[in-house]
Amino acid sequence: MAHLSLRNLSKRYDNNPPVIENLNLDIHDGEFMVFVGPSGCGKSTLMRMIAGLEEISAGELHIGGELANDTPPAERGVAMVFQSYALYPHMTVGENMGFALKLAGKSKQEVAQAVGRAAEILQISHLLERKPKALSGGQRQRVAIGRAIVRKPKVFLFDEPLSNLDASLRVQMRIELSKLHKELGTTMIYVTHDQVEAMTLGDRIAVFNQGRMEQLGAPLELYERPANQFVAGFLGSPKMNFVPCQLKDASSSEITLSVAGDNRLVLPSSHTIAARGDITLGVRPEHLHIVPLEQGFRARVDLLEHLGDAEIVYLELAGSEQPIAIKLPSGGHGLKQGDLVGLRPDAARAVLFGKQGQAIRLQ
Amino acid sequence: MKAKLNPAYLSAYAIVLGGAVIMLMPFWFMFVFATHSDTDILSVPPPMWFGDAFLDNMRLLLGRLPYFWHNLGMSFYVAIATTVLNLFFCSLAGYAFAMFEFKYKEYLFAGVLSTMLLPAFLGMIPSVLIMTGLGWMNEPRALIVPAACGAMGVFMMRQFIGSAIPKELLEAARIDGCGEFGIYWRIVVPLITPAFGTLGLITFIGAWNNFMGPLVIMNDMQMYTVPLALRSLSGTGQVPWGAISAGSAVAVLPLLVLFVITSRRLIEGLTAGAVKA
Ligand SMILES: Nc1ncnc2c1ncn2[C@@H]1O[C@H](COP(=O)(O)OP(=O)(O)O)[C@@H](O)[C@H]1O
Ligand SMILES: [Mg+2]
Repeated sequence: MAHLSLRNLSKRYDNNPPVIENLNLDIHDGEFMVFVGPSGCGKSTLMRMIAGLEEISAGELHIGGELANDTPPAERGVAMVFQSYALYPHMTVGENMGFALKLAGKSKQEVAQAVGRAAEILQISHLLERKPKALSGGQRQRVAIGRAIVRKPKVFLFDEPLSNLDASLRVQMRIELSKLHKELGTTMIYVTHDQVEAMTLGDRIAVFNQGRMEQLGAPLELYERPANQFVAGFLGSPKMNFVPCQLKDASSSEITLSVAGDNRLVLPSSHTIAARGDITLGVRPEHLHIVPLEQGFRARVDLLEHLGDAEIVYLELAGSEQPIAIKLPSGGHGLKQGDLVGLRPDAARAVLFGKQGQAIRLQ
Repeated sequence: MKAKLNPAYLSAYAIVLGGAVIMLMPFWFMFVFATHSDTDILSVPPPMWFGDAFLDNMRLLLGRLPYFWHNLGMSFYVAIATTVLNLFFCSLAGYAFAMFEFKYKEYLFAGVLSTMLLPAFLGMIPSVLIMTGLGWMNEPRALIVPAACGAMGVFMMRQFIGSAIPKELLEAARIDGCGEFGIYWRIVVPLITPAFGTLGLITFIGAWNNFMGPLVIMNDMQMYTVPLALRSLSGTGQVPWGAISAGSAVAVLPLLVLFVITSRRLIEGLTAGAVKA
């Protein structure tokens, strides 16, 4: 077990712009840390730097308090699970799992014992004699995780390990990974582009965008108090609504917004907001309520999506390209396509975003 | 399934069959002539079926070529050594070209490939000069070392390794504690055996049949390889066709055996990469 500390870490290929830039991050001992972000933002690169598969261009990486920049991968005490599983095709499941120990010079007996224990945890004891090509996707995934467990690493690294599985298996493996983390108590770093995986698995989440860490925190903290528009838009499904507005006036107790030209919206605030002019109102679908026309801003119902337990209503706002989504309990609201309704955000949950995307809270 | 008997179908078969007969005929006559005396062979029409003079022909051959068995051994030695070295060095080089990033990689690879453009004859005089300089003339290593790593093999291995082995596999091994040579030896080599079969067969046949190389390098009859030894029979006086045929048949036998053993692998190797397993 070990904590990791990343100090001003950077990665740059030749003369291209940096893929990871000046990253500072501490990952606690035993923590489940998730790196999340859109494809191409540098999550895998960062993980591969931690694993020792990519050279670190600048900065320092400490694993368990020791500088690891130039430590070979095998000596870092890390184990990695790849998206493609990367099982050795010519070895049996048992040989795959025991390979690292065999290379480390452990006796046959020790290897067999360690492999047997890991296989039991993952319920793959009956597969040990098979070759990887005779396994299903879910079984290969388990073997890949088993291979990591056998090494008793200080840090587990997972690079999008579930993205090749079908939806139901993915949910099941997600739960098992969570359990595994509780059982082993080892530091785990998990890379994904899937915000649901991030929200459900992580003790803390680091949200990445174009090589920079946008925000770091516990899942709910990020969901409820996003630091900027990128994080707010990335976490949550359906996405947070971004409504273009003008901030007309602000006092110490309320602000006046003009939404889509002629809609005046007054929201209570707990402090004086300095910004003026073009601004974005961010509000999640479940925090947007239908009110009489004069109490909110007007929008026209465009589409209703029935999810069974809830309904997503998509509305058009004059002067905005993006549809607005609201989430309502199923049935009973009597809305139909073409209806004109008033919408009002829950002021305690709404956020304003300034021109640079920084979050400005009302309360 | 019943074959359709329409004329187009039949004529296609006839053409293929004709081609096969024309290609197999020399083989057939080589084996047939190996069992007939020279007078039989030169009669009109020539014998079409096996006779009983094989042992006489062999006796004649060994009389004219007292070192024939030694020549055969030399052929084996050169061909096997060349093949083993090619498999090793070509796969190492192919692995590097397929999997590693390094400076001037494209230029180096282009350099390797460009050696295929030069006709082998062009290298004869320089190689004799070099071998004389090294004092390797008349020694098998003068045949083996220059042929130890062919451009064709490097190219083939690069293509095969690039398509058959995902990089993540090597990274997994690196994390598991394999050194760079360990990755090659424990991961890459076991996964490229089909390509080894193909390259091995091609190299072995090439080395076995090589005539020009031994011709310029080897001076003593004792050091000749089989093709050179057999060729030396037809230089002076009456050509002993029966003996040459018998020697050729003996020389071809190892190739036939090798081909039967590796033909399945060979076809796998030639089509590998077309479909991912
Ligand atoms: N070997 C490389 N050379 C140049 N650029 C690379 C290399 N590897 C990755 N990149 C770039 O780094 C960026 C981040 O890649 P990656 O870490 O794989 O993203 P993610 O895992 O978040 O999808 C991408 O824009 C990619 O083009
Ligand atoms: Mg990635």
